[in-house]
Amino acid sequence: MTRFQKAIQLLLNYSTVVLFLVVLVTFGLLSPKFLTLGNITNILIQSSSLTILAIGMTFVLLTAGIDLSVGSIMFVVGVISGKLVVIGLPIWWAIPLVLVIGLLFGLVNAFFIFKLKIVPFIVTLATFYVGRGLGLYISETRAINLPESFLQIGSSKLLGLPMPIVILLLVLIIGHFVLSSTQFGRQVYAVGNDMAKARKAGVPVKKILLTVYLICGLCAAISSLVALAQLGAVSPTFGYQNEFMAIAAAVLGGTSLFGGKGNILPGTLIGALLIQSIQNGLVIINVNPYIYPVITGTVIFLIVMIDSLRHKSVQKALRTKTTI
Amino acid sequence: MKMKKIFLMVLSFICLLSANTGCRPKKKGVTIGISFETLQTEYWVASMAAIKSECERNGINYIVAVSNGDANRQFEQVNNFISQGVDGIVITPKDAHTIVPIIKAANRASIPIGIYNRLPADHAGEHVAVVADNYEITKSTVRYMGELARASGRKHKAMILIGDLGDINAIYRRDGFNDGIKEFEDVVEVVSRIPTEWNQEKALAGVTNALQANPDISFIFTSSDFLFPSIISALKNADKYHPIGHENHVIFGGFDGDPMAYSLLKEQYLDADGVQDVFYECNSLVQAILSLIEGGKVGRKIVDPGFVIHQKNLNEKATDMWGANLQTP
Repeated sequence: MTRFQKAIQLLLNYSTVVLFLVVLVTFGLLSPKFLTLGNITNILIQSSSLTILAIGMTFVLLTAGIDLSVGSIMFVVGVISGKLVVIGLPIWWAIPLVLVIGLLFGLVNAFFIFKLKIVPFIVTLATFYVGRGLGLYISETRAINLPESFLQIGSSKLLGLPMPIVILLLVLIIGHFVLSSTQFGRQVYAVGNDMAKARKAGVPVKKILLTVYLICGLCAAISSLVALAQLGAVSPTFGYQNEFMAIAAAVLGGTSLFGGKGNILPGTLIGALLIQSIQNGLVIINVNPYIYPVITGTVIFLIVMIDSLRHKSVQKALRTKTTI
Repeated sequence: MKMKKIFLMVLSFICLLSANTGCRPKKKGVTIGISFETLQTEYWVASMAAIKSECERNGINYIVAVSNGDANRQFEQVNNFISQGVDGIVITPKDAHTIVPIIKAANRASIPIGIYNRLPADHAGEHVAVVADNYEITKSTVRYMGELARASGRKHKAMILIGDLGDINAIYRRDGFNDGIKEFEDVVEVVSRIPTEWNQEKALAGVTNALQANPDISFIFTSSDFLFPSIISALKNADKYHPIGHENHVIFGGFDGDPMAYSLLKEQYLDADGVQDVFYECNSLVQAILSLIEGGKVGRKIVDPGFVIHQKNLNEKATDMWGANLQTP
């Protein structure tokens, strides 16, 4: 392999990081306000909810599954926590309760997927509708304005760091540790690479699938609370289409939709930050609103194209090796 | 005995189906099908309630369907209305174009169809549509806000939150804002235009980013009241949320006339709000459909001129504001 080919290969391997840096530098050159400490903190706070959601999604995608219900889980959790707090239940009682609701949704998804052998797409599509319907029924399609105490959590700080960033860091570290340094993490990759082989090798496939959907449900509930603490209200569109943003963030970060490939740190984190940085930068430089989807779409297209090139290059290298 | 059991089962099944489609107990007379694209904001909930209420006042039976943003499903629902033999149809379409085949289907069945709140494309068939004058209401609201800016004696930087760029109402409101603000170019400079796609989370991120880029923004207009919580949250985080009279008060305006707008006006945080007259729109549309069913003639378009509610006319206009007549949960 020549130096040039090596350089191209390296570029392809770190394409998301490279693109992320290109986005940062471009917006930084276009506006001096973009690369300030205040704005970087701002991007981290804004991406906290999406990143947490995408971390849960990464676990599921790694097993070659998908969870379309996460946006609806966010909505149900938002509505129930909102109702509980509005009727006077202390926030610290409401929080564990709604985290359990997130886990329950994960449990329902997992039950239908591994017990009844229904494909994840169909099961989570059903819970997507059930969740949203349930949320609309409970909220009577009315917005719920949360008490000031909710917003105070979102704007409070711990050790000088804004609370949403603290929660994000906690979830990020735990998620990364579980995936990269535990037996469970290795088994997740094994199930995603080849479920049949993993089963033959003695991997408890059912247990792994159950756990990843539980993790995904829990992450959706945490993500909902983080978003609510910043928003201060639950509208009937809360969490709508967030499942697609979470999938996009994970895939942009290098997680394969076919399972077995990807990581949370730096992958999913960079994917989520990339999406949020583009949105942030476009507002900072006051771009025509019609351009937003064009630019976001182009970046996603570029990443997918680079990923495809990388995949082809790996396949080619493997073929060459086999021939030798 | 077996036949009786089967008959009872079939009867129960029919009753169950009726319950699921929201069919009210059948009275003799007129039945209309009401199809809403969404019920996902208070505006749509209030509109649905107002249409039902007007139907009940006129002794009209109704069947209700909601398509949750799916234009194809809405088309199927209307076809179901037609096959059930309704006398008229009231519909809130997803957009100006997906309504066209629905109107044509109603025309083929010779059933009068009334379009609520979103104007169909030009080539649509026979229908009657009721729409708020989104452009003029917004322009008047922004003019009022512009006068406040001029009266303040200082220059202002402005931000507009735009709705879904595929929604014709959002486009008219944006155009109304642009034309209204032109008259105040000497005191108001628009520094940020935020596309929200009618999504509160996107609105929060957008407003926060805009305030980061331009911390001296002091003039905000939102194309829908339901984005107020996002704006308020971002303003609070930037320590810019102050009532009217405070030296750092941000001139603040919206569009819709929802319950939160009424509360904010009363609490003196909101300067002005463009109000769609839900009661006028719903009542006019039901009356128009009734008239068409009875063989009368009505115009193709009913325009709700709406009004601007602000601090000076709050007491006088509150009774006409639909949000003031709803309780905030």
